[in-house]
Amino acid sequence: MSYKLCTEKDFEAMIGIVGKEFATNNKAITAGYLAKAIMGLESQIPDIVVRPKYVEEIRKILIYCSAEKIAVSPISGGLSGGFACPTIRPGGVVLDLGRMKRIIEIDEDNRFCVIEPGVTNGELWAYMHKNHPDWAPPIPDGAPPAATVMGDAIDRGFSLYTSSVGPQGDNFMCGEIVFPNGDVVRTGSWALPFAKPFYKYGLGPDMWSFLMGSQGSFGVITKAAVKIYPHPKHKTVVVWGMSNPYDMQDLTLEVGKKEFGISHHTVMVQGGNYQLVMTRWPKDKVPHDYEFYEGMGISPWWMNWEIWAQEESELNHVIETIDKQAEDFKKRAKDPDALKKQELHPKQIASRMKKPNKIAIPYSFWEAGFLFITWYTPWNECAHFCDMYTKAAEKHGLPPTIWVASIERCRQAICMPIIGFDSTKQSDFERVQDLNRETTEYALKQGWLNYRPDPYIHIQAYYQAGMYWKYLRAFKKLVDPNMIMHPGRLALP
Amino acid sequence: MAKTGMERLEELRKEIFKCIHCKACRFAYSNEPDKDGIGEFAGKQGTILYEGMVDACPAGIEYGWEAFWNAGKMWIARSILSGDLEFSEEVRDVFLPCITCGQCSAQCENKVPTVDIIESLRAACLEAGIPMIDKHEVVDKLVKERNNPYGGKAAERFKWAKDAGLEKFIDNKGAKIAYYVGCTASYRQVEVAIATAKLFELLGMNFTLVDDEVCCGSPFFRIGAVDTAQELMRKNLEAFKNVEMVYFSCAGCYRTFTIDYPKWMAEGEKLPFKTQHAFELVARLVQQEKIKFKPNKELKGKVVTYHDPCHTGRHFAIDMEQEMIKESTNLIVDHRAIDKAIEAWYEVPRIILRKLEEDVGLVFKEMYRIKIDSMCCGAGGGVRAGYPEFSLRTASLRCDEANAVGADILTTECPFCWRNLSDANEMYEHGMKVLGILQMITEYNLLEILNKPTEKDFLTLSIREEIGHLPKK
Ligand SMILES: Cc1cc2nc3c(=O)[nH]c(=O)nc-3n(C[C@H](O)[C@H](O)[C@H](O)COP(=O)(O)OP(=O)(O)OC[C@H]3O[C@@H](n4cnc5c(N)ncnc54)[C@H](O)[C@@H]3O)c2cc1C
Ligand code: SF4
Ligand code: SF4
Repeated sequence: MSYKLCTEKDFEAMIGIVGKEFATNNKAITAGYLAKAIMGLESQIPDIVVRPKYVEEIRKILIYCSAEKIAVSPISGGLSGGFACPTIRPGGVVLDLGRMKRIIEIDEDNRFCVIEPGVTNGELWAYMHKNHPDWAPPIPDGAPPAATVMGDAIDRGFSLYTSSVGPQGDNFMCGEIVFPNGDVVRTGSWALPFAKPFYKYGLGPDMWSFLMGSQGSFGVITKAAVKIYPHPKHKTVVVWGMSNPYDMQDLTLEVGKKEFGISHHTVMVQGGNYQLVMTRWPKDKVPHDYEFYEGMGISPWWMNWEIWAQEESELNHVIETIDKQAEDFKKRAKDPDALKKQELHPKQIASRMKKPNKIAIPYSFWEAGFLFITWYTPWNECAHFCDMYTKAAEKHGLPPTIWVASIERCRQAICMPIIGFDSTKQSDFERVQDLNRETTEYALKQGWLNYRPDPYIHIQAYYQAGMYWKYLRAFKKLVDPNMIMHPGRLALP
Repeated sequence: MAKTGMERLEELRKEIFKCIHCKACRFAYSNEPDKDGIGEFAGKQGTILYEGMVDACPAGIEYGWEAFWNAGKMWIARSILSGDLEFSEEVRDVFLPCITCGQCSAQCENKVPTVDIIESLRAACLEAGIPMIDKHEVVDKLVKERNNPYGGKAAERFKWAKDAGLEKFIDNKGAKIAYYVGCTASYRQVEVAIATAKLFELLGMNFTLVDDEVCCGSPFFRIGAVDTAQELMRKNLEAFKNVEMVYFSCAGCYRTFTIDYPKWMAEGEKLPFKTQHAFELVARLVQQEKIKFKPNKELKGKVVTYHDPCHTGRHFAIDMEQEMIKESTNLIVDHRAIDKAIEAWYEVPRIILRKLEEDVGLVFKEMYRIKIDSMCCGAGGGVRAGYPEFSLRTASLRCDEANAVGADILTTECPFCWRNLSDANEMYEHGMKVLGILQMITEYNLLEILNKPTEKDFLTLSIREEIGHLPKK
């Protein structure tokens, strides 16, 4: 598959659609969209950036680019790191959707809100905090405030309710999408002209799920209806520490499996190792020995349960149940003596409950750059993952920092090594890629799935799922006949 | 030998590569999503929801493209270092309309020194042979000819002092203390110069106005014209070498003498005098109960708000933080002391404002974005000279915020902020009065001396020097 290098004529065409003010091929401006960080190291400078505001403008751009075989990558907030990441050359057109930032509707009875792509997590949170304080949107807990609600869903992210209700993609009810073939499609109940976006599964098989995925959507999503959830007053965080990932996994699973009245209340269930604390600071400005962290009351491994409840009695019941379960678990634990409840200072609780927060940003402070290499595993295999990854990272001389969280009451785990390295050094890049390659081979053999995949290294996954990939490709062909969207993703072209 | 812009950019490589393009730096209160605010306000520049985090990078707000927000600029710097992009007029035109307000740096959890990076980019761009924009060329030429960017005559630098009956302080031989007036207060906002000198006189300070004072060089350090800036620095170092303490009324000059000069002086060379802003002295005297303020009928009940100048606020706070990080061997332990020092620094002008509220009867009401999260007035970084419309729209955005809390008087403590806010106030009809704090004290005759300060008080270390260190272990 080959793409056309953008010409002056193509640039003029973009200006014709959005106006001079909102299209640029000025390299000084297009370079500002680069991001070789966090989830992708291959970002290229796009040839043209366009900032449309209306669906019709997007439609015209896509029809034009499809006819001309110009690659298109949309960005909502542009934080995924793989964003503006046309991984093949030439870079093509980046659609910066930041001007489409209307919060169109909040419906408290049917419990959804309708938003455009450019609405950031910070903005929606502030808006609801002020105007609908009893409700909250499912924004990602740890993604920076400038990430968008839409971008995170398309990335199938991990929201603040994910441990309780499931992946971020599942919080989306209906969408409006523009395909490169020029069609504008509404999904779910929204397919009907007069229906509210109240039901995801409208007319037959669900099309929306086809459109969600960090490997790149098949079109440009211009509106979406997102579930909102209660934001009760009674909240806290309970933490148990342990010496190893297996005890972390097994205790959390026991709590997760209780479901009714217990794990439904645990909106965020996340943990990891003590290096999560250490590697947020410069390498030469923090102690590396565990003793220091032990002195701070941090266990080598730990799990946080953030609990939200309507009543204090309900909150207390969940806390007591977790504590009781943990005490009882000591009988089955690998290292019962190390199993300890960690008492948090109210400030620590407040900081953990902040959303959206900046907790994950300073991993670059350790050296100069970091990469999230994220995998899904069945919950009861996450300890195996942690064990494997920490050893591999140490072997490559990289810090073995790892974050783990439960999805849908421990049905799945999201396991995220945070690899801090010095991105000014080519040798460090190579070390990180070696680690990524080696662990990918191992992980695929275990049947684990990579999340927000690197388009080169993680491509191996598609080779192992040929039949599935055949149908993905066929569907993409239907709506994007010239394969212009997200080139390099989905093992396509 | 001073470093070139490119050498400094190279030195900052690791800092530049720390940027993960998270864009937290576009917001004030980027870590306070639940911050309760004042709701929505429809101002002259549009409607803003003052709740939680709020967009606060003036360049990004004005131009919209990612390249103009700080995160984009960090990736432009990286592209230059990695050879993906070369300096050109187009590149220059992206990073010049930035006020170097430091709002971005203050939000960054990776402590990326964004302002240093932007200034180094500008210097490197000039060195690469890319010309200045015309408006900057004009001020560069003027300062070279006349030692000030306004084109004022050297002989008229202290005309305000002569007119105000303060002539005796000009070249007052033997004084251990100097008042560095700066160009804006000398040639434009003479009210600030008069108010400050009169206040010093009332307090009984024996100070001198140094005849050979020239522009501090701030605009030239900011726009990358570092040769011009260093020449001015040398002249000032020579002119002020015989005093022990230099006082300032301009935030930009204070920042330049205190933070820039030591960076550009030869290795091992030290500033030959101590520096502090006049508001630090007034705050200390209030704290020591040596002065208070008189009630005033005209001011009673008036709502007064305060704009933190970036040069005294954020630039010092960030410098303090960087220095304390250097000192620290365990940041997990020390970061609280750093946060405390920054908070204490921002309290200094508020000590005066709260005392004014208590004694004078005015109502001190904070705007939504304050202290380290304060929104810039739009004047700095060469923007007022180079991009006047953008500069004034930014000032008007700030005036909107003051209007949102019902301010009758918008105060600040920098003549450059004063000028811009005052122009926007008039141009966009915000309907407030803009005043320097010290100007308000002298113009309304508010000062009451309870216990005459001594020369020792005037020569005492600045509050900034006192608080900006980690506690001794
Ligand atoms: C420090 C840090 C912490 C993070 N923590 C979390 C976390 O806790 N949970 C979590 O889920 N994520 C987390 N992330 C990842 C990040 O939040 C997501 O990648 C981000 O939410 C994506 O939002 P965005 O608006 O920036 O998306 P973008 O980067 O703009 O887009 C994401 C993907 O979707 C595509 N896309 C975007 N908009 C559209 C559209 N309208 N139509 C079609 N395709 C589109 C893009 O091409 C891209 O492939 C974190 C990231 C960082 C930097
Ligand atoms: S400068 Fe800091 S806050 Fe801004 S994008 Fe880069 S890492 Fe994030
Ligand atoms: S210094 Fe101010 S204007 Fe410049 S990028 Fe940072 S926040 Fe924006």
